[in-house]
Amino acid sequence: MTDWLSPFIEFRPEGMYCGALDLYLDPPAAVPRALLSHAHTDHAAAGHGEVWATAETIALYRRRHPDWTGAAHAIVYETPFQASGMTLEAFPSGHILGAAQMRFAAGDRSLLYTGDFRRRPSRTATPIATPRARVLLIEATFGLPVFRFPSRAETETRLVAACRETLAAGETPVLLAYALGKAQEAAIVLASAGIPSVLHGAAWKLLPEYEAAGQAFPLSRAYESAPMAPGEALIVPPRCARTPIVQKLKKRRVIYLSGWALRAASRAELDADVLLPFSDHADFTELLEHVAEVAPERVVTHHGFAEPLARILTQKGVEARPLEEPSERHTEED
Amino acid sequence: MTPYRVLAEALEAVSGSRGKLAKIGLLADALGQLEGEELTVGARLLSGSPFAEWEQTVTSVGWATVARAASAVTGWDLDTIGDCAGAIGDLGEAVSLLVPEHEAEGPAILEVDAFLRKLGKQRKAAEKQAAIEAILRRTSPVEAKYLLKTLSGGLRIGADITTVEEAIAKAFGEDREKVARARRDSGDIGETALAARGHRLAEIRFRLFHPIGFMLASPIEDVAEVAAEAPIYAIEDKFDGIRAHAHRSDERVALFSRTLDDVTGQFPEVARALGHIPGSFLLDGELVAWTGQRPDSFFKLQRRLGRKEPEAELLAEIPVAFIAYDCLFHEGEALFEQPWEERRRRLESIAASGQLMISDVFSASDAAALERLFEEARARGNEGLMLKRRDSSYQAGKRGRAWQKWKKATATLDVVVTAVEQGHGKRAGMLSDYTFAVRDGEEFVNIGKAYSGLTDEEIRELGTRFRKITTARYGPVRAVSPEVVLEVAFDTLQKSSRHKSGFALRFPRIVRLRPDKTPADVNTLDDVRELYTRLTGAPSAPPAIPDST
Repeated sequence: MTDWLSPFIEFRPEGMYCGALDLYLDPPAAVPRALLSHAHTDHAAAGHGEVWATAETIALYRRRHPDWTGAAHAIVYETPFQASGMTLEAFPSGHILGAAQMRFAAGDRSLLYTGDFRRRPSRTATPIATPRARVLLIEATFGLPVFRFPSRAETETRLVAACRETLAAGETPVLLAYALGKAQEAAIVLASAGIPSVLHGAAWKLLPEYEAAGQAFPLSRAYESAPMAPGEALIVPPRCARTPIVQKLKKRRVIYLSGWALRAASRAELDADVLLPFSDHADFTELLEHVAEVAPERVVTHHGFAEPLARILTQKGVEARPLEEPSERHTEED
Repeated sequence: MTPYRVLAEALEAVSGSRGKLAKIGLLADALGQLEGEELTVGARLLSGSPFAEWEQTVTSVGWATVARAASAVTGWDLDTIGDCAGAIGDLGEAVSLLVPEHEAEGPAILEVDAFLRKLGKQRKAAEKQAAIEAILRRTSPVEAKYLLKTLSGGLRIGADITTVEEAIAKAFGEDREKVARARRDSGDIGETALAARGHRLAEIRFRLFHPIGFMLASPIEDVAEVAAEAPIYAIEDKFDGIRAHAHRSDERVALFSRTLDDVTGQFPEVARALGHIPGSFLLDGELVAWTGQRPDSFFKLQRRLGRKEPEAELLAEIPVAFIAYDCLFHEGEALFEQPWEERRRRLESIAASGQLMISDVFSASDAAALERLFEEARARGNEGLMLKRRDSSYQAGKRGRAWQKWKKATATLDVVVTAVEQGHGKRAGMLSDYTFAVRDGEEFVNIGKAYSGLTDEEIRELGTRFRKITTARYGPVRAVSPEVVLEVAFDTLQKSSRHKSGFALRFPRIVRLRPDKTPADVNTLDDVRELYTRLTGAPSAPPAIPDST
């Protein structure tokens, strides 16, 4: 299958590698030269020498790694650059602020690496672009037909309704939303309904990057600034679900915002009351749509349910294979 | 005709609610809407049970049958159905995410009852599959979810049968103790609900040959836990057999197992012996293999289990006896609420005929006396001791502190996992059943299989690892590279031809993961032989038994 990805990507112990550009693609650990699709930790490991990414991703990377001393090279969406006879062009992936798909082209060959992506509209990410490519390397986080999410409008309506009911009952809405991307989206949705939100430090410290991109958070404040007041909603990463910041709120209703919320078991795992499939990833329908619109000759699936998605695509007449990944990476930001 | 959707939506709401009171309220609201046969069936379905407990009926639907039906209805191939169940953690939930929402009204409550009863009668998997397909084509996602959960034997909504009892009490303004008693005596939450609605709970009487739940004991690890109040306990040997309830009327004898299955036919000699005792009664006791006037090992008894009609040679080779230790019903009178002492008096009066074997009862005043009794029980070939409060009532189907069991876990072994399999029920879709091995030179030889002891989280994490280190697949079983080390505890060690090691562990349970150990560190077959000698006093010849697994 490596031949499907050649001449663009080969595998090295450090991860996926583009020889012509001498860049590792979202490598799991520090490398001299890295091309990053977005700033989530499972794609943007700490300590790279040089980083190629969108300006937003670089800014978020710097914010998360303030001691980083490497060199940054900003890539602009839909502005190709060339090296060693290869063209690299970034396109918005709709996942989070700054997230990009990467298209490699040489001669008549081309490869689109989606990184993490979402096709439905979002409050904070540039809307996705759908460039054509002959080979598509697509994420498969939710690559099974059970993973179908409601429309964005319905999800937002349910989120606001759950918060209002909770507040009306004199309880605190606690939103479990990871710190980069979902927390800011949730805060914006709540603000649009007039609900003030209190953000965990991990999400709060990233707001300047969102503000620089034109977002405003008039009804949000940092958790550290004052105790929770009636009428406020708390937004914390899922890893905090069983820690004192959540558990000490005796009157609370915990709302889990994730594609994984379709698993009823997450209720018990996270001590959550409301499960809302609010995701920054493509659901199964969007995955199939993306394949149809990119219209590649071959599809390589990776990450998550790569094997089932490749099998399903094959059944649908698309030539597809899962990527044999040397190791799997899972973090909260999947 | 009330639609099943009313129940499914109530169960969904219960699943999403926090706290027992909220759950009781939601269940009570649903029950309050029902009457007559719909109430009887509805109460059973809300408690997750397709039939009355006393009915000797099960739907017997395997995971694969449901998966095939789901595949036919949704159009997804079986592999995808299996992957979806694994991803979501439950087949019923996965199917509910694959079936479309229906405009038309789904099946009525009584239609669901008829469907379940049909499954109970059908013998062929293909017939069951067709029936499930037919109903799935008419159900909306939430209905599909709870129907399939009912078939898999667990709703997992944080509400057990006592929650439903309390909901019945709340819905119909009855006392919950009375509801619980009526449920126990009738063996049917449905009949109980109907009687509660009509305020006729007092009319429900225990009936012989309706199996009821067993009172269970809590384990104690250390004699110090009970030594201070030793005199309040009646003490008996803990027999190494299987629990059974013996029902006897003038016309009939029946034996029911802990799973409330009728096992009378499996133990004809016991049934015959009980038939010779005059009177009508319900006794609690233990079925044990019987050799030379004393109980033999569970291993021997095991060869008698599951044989519907044992042949004469086996009956002669391994005779089984029933040792009674409680009397719950005698000459038309239910004794559940009576203290143990009174029940014991009745038991002794029945045994006075000379034809019933009953347990010996001991007393102890302190820890030393308990230790002595324990050693004597072990010397008699029994597992340990049972301690029963002399003033306690019989709490059918409950595990409480009134009965305590004391047995010593013999030892633990460090083992390595060699094969894994998907679990069922609560752990459907997870690789939760592990076959494990000890080391024999350069080889690993299997010694047992265990299902529990780890958290779902641990099982899931291990599942990812096992998928990666799978070396071969045999149907549902994955052989895995021997890498994952576990510590397992067990009750006893026995010789067995089932595993290549020549030994089997009785009641193995996973104590913990041992990521600190490598496969090279696991116990060896020599360790096991030595342990066997130490535990049984018998020398263990090196096994020359072929691997049958």
